[in-house]
Amino acid sequence: MTVSLVAVFFVAAGLIAAGAFAAAWRRDLTAALAGVPLMFAGVGVAFAGIARFAAAGGPQLFGQEFAVVLAIAATALVSLGLGIAGREGPR
Amino acid sequence: MDSLHATGFYASAGISLAGAVGVALLPRRGLRGAAMAAVGVGLAGVYLSLSAGFVAAVALVCYAGCALLVASPRYRPLEGVVGPLWRQVGAIGAAALLGVLAYSAFRGDFVHASFYGGAFGAANLGRLLFAHNAVSTEAVAVLVLIAFAGATAAWRVRERTR
Repeated sequence: MTVSLVAVFFVAAGLIAAGAFAAAWRRDLTAALAGVPLMFAGVGVAFAGIARFAAAGGPQLFGQEFAVVLAIAATALVSLGLGIAGREGPR
Repeated sequence: MDSLHATGFYASAGISLAGAVGVALLPRRGLRGAAMAAVGVGLAGVYLSLSAGFVAAVALVCYAGCALLVASPRYRPLEGVVGPLWRQVGAIGAAALLGVLAYSAFRGDFVHASFYGGAFGAANLGRLLFAHNAVSTEAVAVLVLIAFAGATAAWRVRERTR
């Protein structure tokens, strides 16, 4: 059993498609917002896979760097979106 | 990559994909938050098996935060104005996107290269983030700060107007 770039890309494709499906299918916009970090996760996995299997030229891990930035940006996006949605009052 | 790493990769990928389907389909916030946490755990496992330990740690923390935000009971649901027909079109578009990306992945094995990094990669990533690409790191940090400050301000303003 081994892992190749193709397997990493398949996982990334699944995550991106699940995120796009969540963003498109959910009627509640705050629930649809949860699809954004899924898509970012898929892109990050693809970049980390490229850094692991297909990026030549020494220890320059640009793919991993981009994956770090994407994970942080996903958290910031969800925080901003839910902040704009607003706090629910007491009922 | 040895068999143990490969097993870890596929198990983590399964957890991550199952969590992603859960985020898309589960009905309640708490369940969606738990599914998002599962995505984070699976994602960290995938990164670990790809020799990206530092990215795994960052992803675990960030997606745990996302899970807490998604599971929080203290934000309002916002009903969208998009009709059911367009939602179905969007779902079909997501399925088509999966097909296109799967075909691209199937044809993506045309390049191979040797990997020179270590298992964790923190030193190399630190050199990239704080020496080679320091300006872009600061730009991203400013954007994240603006996002968090904007979220806090929007949260407070909505609370005061009520």
